[in-house]
Amino acid sequence: MSEFFKKIAEKPFILASGILGVSYSSMKRIFEGGAGAVVTKSIGPILREGYKNPSIIEILPGTFINSVGLANPGIDNFISEIKELKRNNITTIVSVFGDSIETYTQVAVKAQDAGADAIELNISCPHAEISIICQNKQLTYDYVAAVKKELKIPLIVKLSPNVTDIGEIALSAEKAGADAITAINTVNAMVIDIETQRPILSHGSGGLSGKAIHPIAVKKVFNLYKIVRIPIFGCGGVFTGEDAIEFFLAGASAVQIGSALYQDYNAITTIINIAKKYLEVHNYKSFSDIVGNAHGFETQEVPDF
Amino acid sequence: MIKKPRMVQISEIVQESKDVKTFTFNINSILNNYSIQYQDPTPGEFLMVWVPGIDEIPMSLSGFNNNKDWSITVKKVGECTETLFNLEKSDLIGIRGPFGNGFQILEFNSNNQLNIVVGGGIGMAPLIPLISELIKLKIKIIVIEGVKSKEEIIFKKYLENYLIENETFYISTDDGSYGYKGFATDLFNSIIKKEIEKGNKINQVNSCGPEQMMYELFHICEKLNITFQGSLERMMRCGFGMCGLCVLDPSGIRVCREGPVLDSKILRTCTDFGKYNRDFSGKKNTI
Repeated sequence: MSEFFKKIAEKPFILASGILGVSYSSMKRIFEGGAGAVVTKSIGPILREGYKNPSIIEILPGTFINSVGLANPGIDNFISEIKELKRNNITTIVSVFGDSIETYTQVAVKAQDAGADAIELNISCPHAEISIICQNKQLTYDYVAAVKKELKIPLIVKLSPNVTDIGEIALSAEKAGADAITAINTVNAMVIDIETQRPILSHGSGGLSGKAIHPIAVKKVFNLYKIVRIPIFGCGGVFTGEDAIEFFLAGASAVQIGSALYQDYNAITTIINIAKKYLEVHNYKSFSDIVGNAHGFETQEVPDF
Repeated sequence: MIKKPRMVQISEIVQESKDVKTFTFNINSILNNYSIQYQDPTPGEFLMVWVPGIDEIPMSLSGFNNNKDWSITVKKVGECTETLFNLEKSDLIGIRGPFGNGFQILEFNSNNQLNIVVGGGIGMAPLIPLISELIKLKIKIIVIEGVKSKEEIIFKKYLENYLIENETFYISTDDGSYGYKGFATDLFNSIIKKEIEKGNKINQVNSCGPEQMMYELFHICEKLNITFQGSLERMMRCGFGMCGLCVLDPSGIRVCREGPVLDSKILRTCTDFGKYNRDFSGKKNTI
């Protein structure tokens, strides 16, 4: 097991991409709160303003819709943040996107050179042009293989739930050399203001995150666990220790936490403590002891008539 | 708190100066239609104001009353504020909030204590409800409004009506076209020293305006060992602590969540204060 995966196994809670991931200082708070690693906001080859506001709103308690549109300062402006993260000994996963195989590779290599511990490939932002990659197994293979070839550090691929078969995409990523899978990115969604009769987000549609998508993410992780051999990072709506445990039981080796942190930086500590309590009460030594435990039960395949 | 943007009708518009207008709207319809639990806002809290088709921007509340009439005061500075500025009575705007932490009025315990309130230009807006609150609590106040030139003075009549003794309301203009000639910080410096000489104790200094101005005020207060509270402005997408654009280094303080009003204790930990902010892409820039 590589150094990176050892660290994750020790502390299998990771800050998800897109949440408080612009500045090293917010990521530092979350790392100090008990995260094993942080994933930065997705970084591209050049500065990008993204979509105008409204771009992030809470539409149900703990459930959010966003269309930020991959806003980011560009890799060259972001290198100082990566260096600052590493200066603070923070295990750093840089989320990377581009507009071609070349730019994806170029950004990933620059992040690696700046000191990143791993790369998370964002091929699945639901409201940007790059989502086309994660919808096609050949494109997924091509992008992952090309980036992997240039990397010495682990490559994680973040997948979208907005596809017919997430399994075939995951297999493609694994075949191309991905070291882990993050599942899932946000779910395609829309919210309409009934007074003005127009979509609220400036982009029209966006991605749903938070509590409402947790059961969707659990099901995707459950499916993927049967299909791929590489580790799965469960991501989507973890607000409590119970939510995290569900991911491990479904087959995740680690859990990403995002939306829940808006309330309070300490939210991550509370989630971890309650999840650890579960291990203690049920006499497990580590989270790895419960990975995939929800599998192997006989489920009813044919309804009663 | 209103979490999803909800439309309200503008009920009143007051022109404060050539480029500044106050828009008032009643939020009872939102509270009733969507069963939203109501809590009185605190002076200094802000709304995300949506102008459909244009943008959504953070704006401090410049007024609220028991009738649940809320107001925002808008200065024409960009596309969104310009569109807002040109709206008419009965037009709709979307609002969500109020977000953040407002001014915390420190308890005072002697008669010769006073609060000094310093606003720079449109920064006067969130200070208006604070001033009302201080008056209600019978705390003595001195208000300083700093503007570039006479035409930019706002809330003058309102403040003169409220602040009975004339000497408690001062105006500075950079060009000397009205009141004290020079920066609000210089006026503040001379006033605070005079008050201390008179034997008055400064309970706290509250401010909103250009960050350079607040940065200087903060340092004057630090030297005099006086508590300072300033309302900061940063780019925001969410307004509730998620996007990370308004984070202050190196402490990770979020202007939208732990702020926008931050006090000396926190500001001391923020090396970004007065120096850096982030643009909409997340890139850090010098202020």
